[in-house]
Amino acid sequence: CSNLDGNSTNLDENSTSFSSKLQLEEREEEQQLPTTSNPATPATTTTTVSSGQPPGGAKRKRNLPGTPDPEAEVIALSPRTLMATNRFVCEICNKGFQRDQNLQLHRRGHNLPWKLRQRTSKEIRKRVYICPEPSCVHHDPSRALGDLTGIKKHFCRKHGEKKWKCDKCSKRYAVQSDWKAHSKTCGTREYRCDCGTLFSRRDSFITHRAFCDALAEESARVSAAGKHGGDSNMVVVGPSMSILGGVPPSSPHGNNNLGRVNGGGDSLASIGILNPLEYDVPQAPRPSSSGGGGLLPMVSSATGSLFAHLFSSGGTMPGLHGTHPGNSGATSMGMGISGFSDFTAGANQTERGSATAGLSLSSTATGLSSCSSSVYNNGIGSVPSGSLLFNQQQQQQQQQQQQQQHTATAQMSATALLQKAAQMGATASNSMLRGLGFGSLSNMPSLFAGPNSGNMGGMMPPGLGGGSTRGEDGSDRFTHDFLGVVVFAPTIVANLEGFWPLGNRSIFFER
Amino acid sequence: MIREDTPSLSLSSSVSASTQSFSSLSNLPPHHSALFSVNGPTQHLWLQELRSEERGLYLIQLLLSCANAVACNNMEYSNVFLEQLTLLASLTGDPMQRVATYFMEGLAARITKSWPGVYRALNSTQLPSIVDMLSARQVFFSVCPYLKFAFLTVNQAILDAMEGEKVVHLIDLEASDPVQWLALLQALSVRPGGPPHLRITGVSERRAVLEQTGQRLSIEAEKLDIPFQFHPVHAQLENLDIELLRVKTGEAVAISSVMRLHPLLAKDSRFSGSAAHEASGGTIDQVLRTLRCLSPKVMVVVEQESSHNGPTLLERFIEALHYYCAMFDSLDSTLPQQCPERVTLEKHLFGQEIKNIVACEGVERVERHEKLEKWRKRMENAGFQMLALSQPTVLQAKRLLHCYACDGYRLREKDGCLTLCWQDTPLYSASAWHA
Repeated sequence: CSNLDGNSTNLDENSTSFSSKLQLEEREEEQQLPTTSNPATPATTTTTVSSGQPPGGAKRKRNLPGTPDPEAEVIALSPRTLMATNRFVCEICNKGFQRDQNLQLHRRGHNLPWKLRQRTSKEIRKRVYICPEPSCVHHDPSRALGDLTGIKKHFCRKHGEKKWKCDKCSKRYAVQSDWKAHSKTCGTREYRCDCGTLFSRRDSFITHRAFCDALAEESARVSAAGKHGGDSNMVVVGPSMSILGGVPPSSPHGNNNLGRVNGGGDSLASIGILNPLEYDVPQAPRPSSSGGGGLLPMVSSATGSLFAHLFSSGGTMPGLHGTHPGNSGATSMGMGISGFSDFTAGANQTERGSATAGLSLSSTATGLSSCSSSVYNNGIGSVPSGSLLFNQQQQQQQQQQQQQQHTATAQMSATALLQKAAQMGATASNSMLRGLGFGSLSNMPSLFAGPNSGNMGGMMPPGLGGGSTRGEDGSDRFTHDFLGVVVFAPTIVANLEGFWPLGNRSIFFER
Repeated sequence: MIREDTPSLSLSSSVSASTQSFSSLSNLPPHHSALFSVNGPTQHLWLQELRSEERGLYLIQLLLSCANAVACNNMEYSNVFLEQLTLLASLTGDPMQRVATYFMEGLAARITKSWPGVYRALNSTQLPSIVDMLSARQVFFSVCPYLKFAFLTVNQAILDAMEGEKVVHLIDLEASDPVQWLALLQALSVRPGGPPHLRITGVSERRAVLEQTGQRLSIEAEKLDIPFQFHPVHAQLENLDIELLRVKTGEAVAISSVMRLHPLLAKDSRFSGSAAHEASGGTIDQVLRTLRCLSPKVMVVVEQESSHNGPTLLERFIEALHYYCAMFDSLDSTLPQQCPERVTLEKHLFGQEIKNIVACEGVERVERHEKLEKWRKRMENAGFQMLALSQPTVLQAKRLLHCYACDGYRLREKDGCLTLCWQDTPLYSASAWHA
């Protein structure tokens, strides 16, 4: 702006803040804080002047996008405002400016009165912006974007018309800067996969290549897996992979890329690759559903092979959830919501008969043998031992459980014991143990062999306390107290009153 | 095992004095009274003749007395009690015996810690084995429903909150086990509308585990055709720099915390009880507020439902006793008594927890379990609002429990939170929050 240059000397007192503003594009507010550069924006947002910086001279932290400061001011701009360019028009020459500041400076050139507004408040009030489109995720204040440029671009990209088109390829863009950025790189750098697909981005090329290998493997295995019968996973993967293979080179615009992949996902789902019914049956052979990933029946950790693999190979951790025999990989399709039937299937294992377990184990064992994925070869060797061990354990466990049930009445559970002790304690007289919520056992003659006069009867270890009811004088009191606790020799008991700082107070809470 | 010379306890002298009176009082079979006349291994036999119920009750009393002695830092009395305990407790006995073993060990560790040199020397060759711990956790996952319940609840809450979202950013506060996310990947891949672009940021203090988790998840995501990124963050949660999480514009954020919040309470231990400090907010409040700033769509918190963070040892001891008795009971009905996995699980997972609760103090004590009510207050203080767990979550949890043969597991639903109990003792609680 030539006017500025000519008048720069006059603006010394304000020059710092203004020049920084002028260098920033697309900031309409007078509080000019240097914003961080949006990667897609070709405009530079770095300032050259030091005093226009944020208060305190501290380096401004980059705002976390999508994580608005709770005290920020939420601004809702209208679509017209967001899409507008050159709102400020000079009345003399009809030249349009994006910012009022720029217009004012221009007006000086016409010798018109001009007013430049400065920062209105000392404090910087953080502003966040929401998208005016109600159906948009960023319409919600909690998902507001922190950057005016960002919200403008978002609005154009998502809800605007794509007016800019690339020359070389067919991509269209709503935001001019996106279009410029793309046309710079379109066709400049290419990655070509073996299958013939072209990519302009390295990362999407690499991702595709991984898929591509799998594609080759899968198609080789389709014929082999066909005999196993009923593994729709195998059959489907072929066509679905080709869908992905046909994905055009990804654009630098992230959303488009996602859209395509999602489309691929949709087709997978619709093909029925994940037919729940297929996978409810643990015996269904799953030769390579997850490339063997989820299939590793590193059954129980009895062998410790699971973790030996983990630490020795340093490679991928075998599917921990696959430790349940028959609980292979993608069995968890369930009815849509249960991505967790692999959890439940695992639980099922504990109650099914050993026959089932054995059957499913054998099926997974065969499944693994056909798996060619080298990653899991380490674990295969240990499968049989692990599975057999688990099998045996299952049998043992069931027998044990039956036995335990028979003896259930004779053996109280730990929680029942605690409750009983608490009950007894509640009825006991003054005692430390009662204070602890348990009380003494002085009132429980029925529990132990035979009656006893305030004794613990059978609970008395030899020589301790049993005779203390007739022991030395003065020890009776303590004996009662500690009957439930432990039994000491009377000589000790006599000394205990002084010892226990808590005395006989029931200072502890009842649970 | 019985000390022949008991300088301070003078057992032997009292034995002879009271034998006669005792035996006439008691109704024990004659051969028992004969035992009382001598010290030595015969006492051992007597104790072993106790019926399991008597033994159990006696164990409880011994434990409490010992805890009291240890709390008073009285080595002599602690020793007496511990001796009795060692006779009765057993690693492979009934649940009460097993629980008693670990509490007994905890108490012994605590009292020994009053002589730090002795304690450290004694434990110098017992390095905690990561393999054992992982193995124990694996057994815990496969045999008990607790972890499955936790994962299931978290995953379903995430699925509910992320319906319709195209990009999901999931932050796992303790990303050491991919199992949970494998299931989520499965569920996302069959979501009507297709799977979202999923980014998982895993926070952990163990780099190797993070890498492996990431690799495992990446492979699974590829197979399921879900656009996926794993971002490992090797950091301490206490000092988490939120920038490391790299939350991007337009992402829907979900945070998962499965038993990962209670260790954060340890850092504030220096100031515990100081009202001023608590008002200003300790580490946990800072971390929660930081997480709140991410505006997560959902944050699921699963924690042990018990009060193991009391100021006094005895308080914690009693609470923990109830809790772990219930836990060990549930194990008892799932696994046979002689099962080595069960011992591994009890020893390396629960035993360590018990030891930590009983023997450690200050920043060392990380197993600071608290009840849901307290967590609720903390979350609300940090600015979160409760999100009720949906009906599908409850149904799935119920379904999970039905798969277990024993019917001791109970599910309690209250105020939108779920609590998994064994019989009547709550063990784990799950709640969901949003910013």
